[in-house]
Amino acid sequence: MKKIEFKITLILIALLSLIPLVLPRFYIYITATIFVTALLAMSLNLVVGHGGLYQFHHGVFYGVGAYVTALLILKAGMPFWAAFILAPIASTVTGFLIGWFCVRLSKLYYGMLQISLGSLIWAIAFRWYSLTGGDDGLHGVTIPDLISSTRNAYYFTFIVLLASLWILYAILRSPFGTTLQALRDNPERCEAIGINVRRHQLAAVVIATFFAGVAGALFVVIEQSVFPDLLFWVLSLEVFIMCLLGGWFTFAGPILGAAIMVSLRTFVGTYTEYWTLVLGIILILLIFFLPEGVMGFFLERLGKPRSRQNGNDKAGASVGSR
Amino acid sequence: MLAVQDVHKSFGDFKAVNGATLQVEKGRIVAVIGPNGAGKTTLFNLICGQLSPDKGRIIFDGQDITALPPHKVCRRGVARSFQIANIFPRLTVFKNVQVSVLSQHQKSGVLFKPADQLLIDETEKILDRVGLLDKAQVIAGSLSHGDLRILEIAIALGGSPRLLVLDEPTAGMSPDETKRTMGLVKDLSQKEGLTILFCEHDMDIVFNVAHSIMVMHHGRTLIQSSPEEVRKNKEVQEAYLGAEDA
Amino acid sequence: MILFIVTSGLSFVLGILRVPNIAHGSLYMIGAFCAYTFNKLFGGGTMGFLAALLLAPLVVALVSLIAERALFCRLYEREHLMLLLFTFALMLILDDLVKMIWGADYRSVMAPEFLRGSVNLFGSSFPRYNLFLLVVGPLVAVALWLFTNKTKMGKIARAAAVDREMVGAVGINVSWVFAFAFVLGCYLAGLGGALVAPTISITLGMDHDIVIEAFLIVTIGGLGNMAGAMVGSLIFGITQSFGVLFWPQFAIVFPYLAVVIILIIRPTGLLKSVW
Repeated sequence: MKKIEFKITLILIALLSLIPLVLPRFYIYITATIFVTALLAMSLNLVVGHGGLYQFHHGVFYGVGAYVTALLILKAGMPFWAAFILAPIASTVTGFLIGWFCVRLSKLYYGMLQISLGSLIWAIAFRWYSLTGGDDGLHGVTIPDLISSTRNAYYFTFIVLLASLWILYAILRSPFGTTLQALRDNPERCEAIGINVRRHQLAAVVIATFFAGVAGALFVVIEQSVFPDLLFWVLSLEVFIMCLLGGWFTFAGPILGAAIMVSLRTFVGTYTEYWTLVLGIILILLIFFLPEGVMGFFLERLGKPRSRQNGNDKAGASVGSR
Repeated sequence: MLAVQDVHKSFGDFKAVNGATLQVEKGRIVAVIGPNGAGKTTLFNLICGQLSPDKGRIIFDGQDITALPPHKVCRRGVARSFQIANIFPRLTVFKNVQVSVLSQHQKSGVLFKPADQLLIDETEKILDRVGLLDKAQVIAGSLSHGDLRILEIAIALGGSPRLLVLDEPTAGMSPDETKRTMGLVKDLSQKEGLTILFCEHDMDIVFNVAHSIMVMHHGRTLIQSSPEEVRKNKEVQEAYLGAEDA
Repeated sequence: MILFIVTSGLSFVLGILRVPNIAHGSLYMIGAFCAYTFNKLFGGGTMGFLAALLLAPLVVALVSLIAERALFCRLYEREHLMLLLFTFALMLILDDLVKMIWGADYRSVMAPEFLRGSVNLFGSSFPRYNLFLLVVGPLVAVALWLFTNKTKMGKIARAAAVDREMVGAVGINVSWVFAFAFVLGCYLAGLGGALVAPTISITLGMDHDIVIEAFLIVTIGGLGNMAGAMVGSLIFGITQSFGVLFWPQFAIVFPYLAVVIILIIRPTGLLKSVW
């Protein structure tokens, strides 16, 4: 990380740490929600923006993480910390299973299969009223006193987020990350230089689903409930948009995307019930004017070359070529 | 080092390769020539694993590599460059080559060490050798065409191959770039003893550089021999009637 | 059958524009709501029903045409993912537009006299409306088939699906071909919506449900393949009925499970995809 980026990050962390001391409870809650969503978006972007996979139903792993946390605490009577560790593992196993089938396919087929498999899980959760509460979801999940207050939940989420981001950053800068990005750019060439494409992609998926599971568990910490919407494909697409909005070829873009989306949804929601319309319009504006996302746009302005292939949009902005 | 024995490959009714045979001896430069559509690229795809032959065998260094997938073929020591620039457009030139080097050293899966501390020397050496060191931090997608083709070769070299397979390495290059590239090819062969197999349309290059030439026509091998023999051969002349100055 | 009509529209667009239209469900929903409005306007009964059937899909087609010409067509040169995201944006916008125009309550439409009730067929009672659908469905299928195989426009559309550059090089305005294909596909969505109106309660969430089902059917049938859409719809419908019979609580799981199994065995769909 360059010096200035490091400094900015430190300042941000300091500022965010101070929030619970200065802002009212509602804002603390919103910011904590942003943290959770940001982690989810970052985990998705590992495989989409950096990996070039058509991960259309990432929300499933998030939902599994959340549901497993809730179920283990409510139905199996486990202590929170045990559930917190097991839930991401459950997500990762799900990720491995679904991923194993999906990486055998390319592009759109990958996405379609994932939506199918994910929807299957959604359908089961949706109908299994006795276990998952069906349409109502589960409520009243008990969280240890240490982190149950809004302020403490905030700090807990913040810490977990920072730790996860640190790990993701290290991974992206590692040879694994570089190879992953090469896979995004040109899987055929990767094969020709000796990389086992499927194995590598599956590994990326497994990592991504792990962190999605962590995000799911954090969701339960903040909300103390779960809903089948977490497993529904619309949420997955919204997370996808967050990555696009923030800038999917940048590291922190998805965080920005998540922040913008959650803030907009909350604040626009107080003025109008037509938040969905606003989101749709924003998305259209993005597609036409900011295909590199907000962060990508600014980075370019600041002189860091994001690849522009002589005006050829197809090659430059593609997430995996055709 | 490489022996291609009577391979066949059809796509539906179209016989792209219909009995191709090739011998590449260690340390030599072998060229494959033939009119357009003769099946050269398909043959290269078969050798390197992108396709598998319907019939016939491919032996590399005593081992049968006939039906191996591309990444395994690469592991055995065969590296390839492509006819159409097949690089990683969003990565820097440096990273383009580094990815290959990392793969060669089986370090693609390393998770927790920063990549820019690994194998820098080796990557820089390769870039230096092909003459792209000064452009190391340029985003690959914005290189000129000639540089792209050279990067192609550099990526292939990252795998420390024993056999380098180049598919039309000078396609679309200016005369200067062509000289530079073929100079590089000659260097690699003479100074490092690298075995090289390539295909080309430019006859001057082929006859200047290759130790042995294999001629393909309609997917079949017509002949493989020294440049003088090939030049004299009647069948070759017929196949190329009028096409030599292409 | 309704599934087939809706899905065929999606498949058609997918085959020619190579973009899965996420807004397809919303257009279906608009079709249903419009049917409700037209039905009321024309006083219900047979007149209302026929008017709805005729006009609702046209309204939907018009909406899609506007969306396409104004915005969608500018994206043809861009990366596919952008087109897909655009359809998602379109869905979001249309969803709220529907909420704005019709409100959040659910509506219902009554089938006309002659299609109500059931008929005794082979010893069990069969709803008349379903019989009606069983006739309309194949009619639409045949019409589509005739169109794509026998008319000039259809053939051009198929050619454009396979190689749009060639078609453009031959001097045909590819953009208009795409526009036409898109509008036709959306028309079918609207038609499906208008047809389904008398059988279910028309609510705001119906687009989400149908879209995922249509997507899955298209995937198992083969992308862009009309016959595949028919096969897929049948499989989907049958497994769902199966589920209702044997395990009503998890009835919706059965079709999803079938899809998953099919995709694992044949990831590219049962029939060949158009590209």
